[in-house]
Amino acid sequence: MSPPASTGAYAGAIAAHRFGLGEPSLDAVGTDPQAWLNSQIGPADAPLGAGLLGTAAALDQVAAELRARRAARAVPADAAASAPDLGGFYREVIAADVRSRLLTAASTTRPFAERLQLFWANHFTVSLAKGSVRGLVGAFERDAIRPNIAGNFEALLWAATTHPAMLRYLDNTQSAGPHSRVVAREAMRAARLEEGPRVSGLNENLAREVLELHTLGASSARGPRPVYTQADVTSFARVLTGWRVPLQTGDASRPFDPNWHEPGTKTVLGQAYPEGPQALRLVVHDLAQHPATAHFIATKLARHFVADDPPAALVDRLAATYRRGNADLAGVYRELIRSPEAWQAQPAKLKTPEEFVLSAARVLRLDQRAFERGDALGIGALGQRVHGAPSPAGWSDRAEDWLGPDAVWKRVEWSTRTAGRLGARIDARQLAAQSLGPLLSTDTRTQIERAADGPQALALLLMAPEFQRR
Amino acid sequence: MSPPTLLDPRRRHLLGALGAGTLAPWAALSLAATGAPSANRFVFVILRGGLDGLACVPAIGDPEFAPARGPLAQFASAPLPLDPTFALHPNLTQLHAMYGRGELAVVHAVGLPYRDRSHFDAQQVLESGGVRPYEVSSGWLGRMLGSSGAKGLALNTAVPLVLRGPATVDTWAPSALPDPSADLVARIERMYANDRTLATALERAKALHFDSTMAADMAAGMGGGRAGGFVVLAQRAAEFLAQPNGPQVAVLEVSGWDTHANQGNPNGPLANNLRQLDAGLGALREGLQGSNASSGPWARTVVVVATEFGREVAINGTLGTDHGTGGAAFVLGGAVQGGRVLADWPGLAKKNRYDGRDLRVTTDLRSVLKGVLGEHLKISERSLNSEVFPGSESVKGIALLRA
Repeated sequence: MSPPASTGAYAGAIAAHRFGLGEPSLDAVGTDPQAWLNSQIGPADAPLGAGLLGTAAALDQVAAELRARRAARAVPADAAASAPDLGGFYREVIAADVRSRLLTAASTTRPFAERLQLFWANHFTVSLAKGSVRGLVGAFERDAIRPNIAGNFEALLWAATTHPAMLRYLDNTQSAGPHSRVVAREAMRAARLEEGPRVSGLNENLAREVLELHTLGASSARGPRPVYTQADVTSFARVLTGWRVPLQTGDASRPFDPNWHEPGTKTVLGQAYPEGPQALRLVVHDLAQHPATAHFIATKLARHFVADDPPAALVDRLAATYRRGNADLAGVYRELIRSPEAWQAQPAKLKTPEEFVLSAARVLRLDQRAFERGDALGIGALGQRVHGAPSPAGWSDRAEDWLGPDAVWKRVEWSTRTAGRLGARIDARQLAAQSLGPLLSTDTRTQIERAADGPQALALLLMAPEFQRR
Repeated sequence: MSPPTLLDPRRRHLLGALGAGTLAPWAALSLAATGAPSANRFVFVILRGGLDGLACVPAIGDPEFAPARGPLAQFASAPLPLDPTFALHPNLTQLHAMYGRGELAVVHAVGLPYRDRSHFDAQQVLESGGVRPYEVSSGWLGRMLGSSGAKGLALNTAVPLVLRGPATVDTWAPSALPDPSADLVARIERMYANDRTLATALERAKALHFDSTMAADMAAGMGGGRAGGFVVLAQRAAEFLAQPNGPQVAVLEVSGWDTHANQGNPNGPLANNLRQLDAGLGALREGLQGSNASSGPWARTVVVVATEFGREVAINGTLGTDHGTGGAAFVLGGAVQGGRVLADWPGLAKKNRYDGRDLRVTTDLRSVLKGVLGEHLKISERSLNSEVFPGSESVKGIALLRA
């Protein structure tokens, strides 16, 4: 009988590339690839880089920008030339956030933990595509995601849902209970001034996306017996009213304002929840424990690490582990590492642009200065703006979405430029052997050996199927 | 303003409304009428995020409109009138001019067979052409191209679902990166001998980039999908489509229509997106018109602009609108019999709304698409019913083209 794939000849290379972010030498993995991965399960590394703001400081900055804008508006039009230019207000903090994300992932000795952080940050997408979270995305990742990737899913869900960036990104800061005190006050004010009220009731955005994208999954709302309906979305939106961070006080530690909360009991998924901030705790708990959530999270993890359409048996096993552990994520990761489906030698996954660039940065031991250029290593030009996913669903985890001819062409262009900068100093033949080990195919090795010069050899390594895939 | 067409409290058939007489017997249409089918061009513009149909095509003549919409019934300048009931958002000036020239038909209270208000599911249905999310995994245009042999192009780095199918589709987006050498590309191709997916993608990309003038310098940093780059993408789409051997079908995407808050702001995202959309569609027309308006490619072009769903009739608690159902779509081009609003208008009173909240869908978007594909691209009714839009036998195509 042949040894299990997880200890076979390919195991070190698979651990490094499929579970990690690539290594310049497979020596980094050591002799027991599974143990190497298991030892990384835990909170993500402390983020590297300077100029990083905590959530409270980032919110202070948002409040300061708002004040500056108001002040600028108050300046008479003929003096507008002297008003401060706020266009670049967040430029530095956004650049620092992106730099830190990439630098940390490129430098970590726990790349599996970093992959999980990237996975969960994408699962709980908060994106610069929406102006209201400018300056907050990095703080969200560092404070809500990084510490919580390997605990109970409930803690992660709670931290992500109640973080000011998420509350702003999905409009909950503006959602008010239709019978809340603030709506009554606002109606009176509006009537006095004979204008429309600025706030009059619910905004369902966060409620819907938590159910659809973060917990139960959209597919569970389909079919003859949907797990949740429009009524659950609206009711959950009522539970969520009051969860907001007033910028005037900017106190991130107290993100609940009872004046905005809808009075009365609410029913979500057939369960009654009391009035007040404690209801969200209970709903988050129940959502984390829901079998549909177990299945949804298991599917997404298996899709991320194993295959675009992951084997059903693997998904079922991960979901069962999730339920048995009452939403403990570390146990699910250990089950994934144990699973033979994850150790097939043939790589099924295409790297996303960010994974491709990060693995190149690690394998090439990219100089710190490359991260200082402020172009996010060029990842945006490959079609994936860092911290800028186009929708709350995050970036796609399926190859077909990254395989348009133009997308592949941009990878060739990127590899050409990168290899042009570094190729004269790096022996691509040696690097290919050390980094890819047994994954390096004869075809690829031959092409690299026959390359016209160093830069071309390196570009070929970066574009090799076994480097584009994982 | 008195809306005499709105007396029937239940349902009103407006000018050019969808009576049985307007259903297209396209199978019987003369092939000669529009010249060789291969010269015809079709452009599909996807507005991702759920365009508010009542903001871009306000029903200002419906007495329920102003009370239902409250502050969102007010516009920074007067909406541009289409007929006694409907108008265009004031930022859609070029579309309004096209309407006046008879090149734009507006479809209202239009939507998908899907009703459940998830962006992602609704976009899957919009692009797959299925009835329920994920029951069909390729795209309706992709399947159409596969059976007709026509060439398709996505103005984006990735191939959107709508174009996925048996045929290989080209993609194009502006780049700020250096061009690789032909030698390097040839070597990569050899390396991909055993990776068909990567090989196919590279081969198509090579054709697009080495072929022609298409590798011309582009403004750096323009991305597909964002409204800011839409004008650039539309101009490039026109250049590709105008080539005699160019693609017959192109898909463009604009995201950012998910207006949950403050959507009436005259300088807000919705107003800016509509301005960009209008400018881009104007640029597409200009680029396709060439030197001769009556014989240029524009005369043989149909553009359909659609979104995954409309938004709730009532405004939400934050001066925006939450996800809804029915919305608006545009059909434009030199080949379109325009100057009409096609709407079996359900009315905006609460009892007439879907679930008591959304504009009711009275026209299936597939009837618009089937009409265009059948008449304009000569796709057979059998193929439309079984392959392109499976399960759509009961959904008849609407006649939208000039005779």
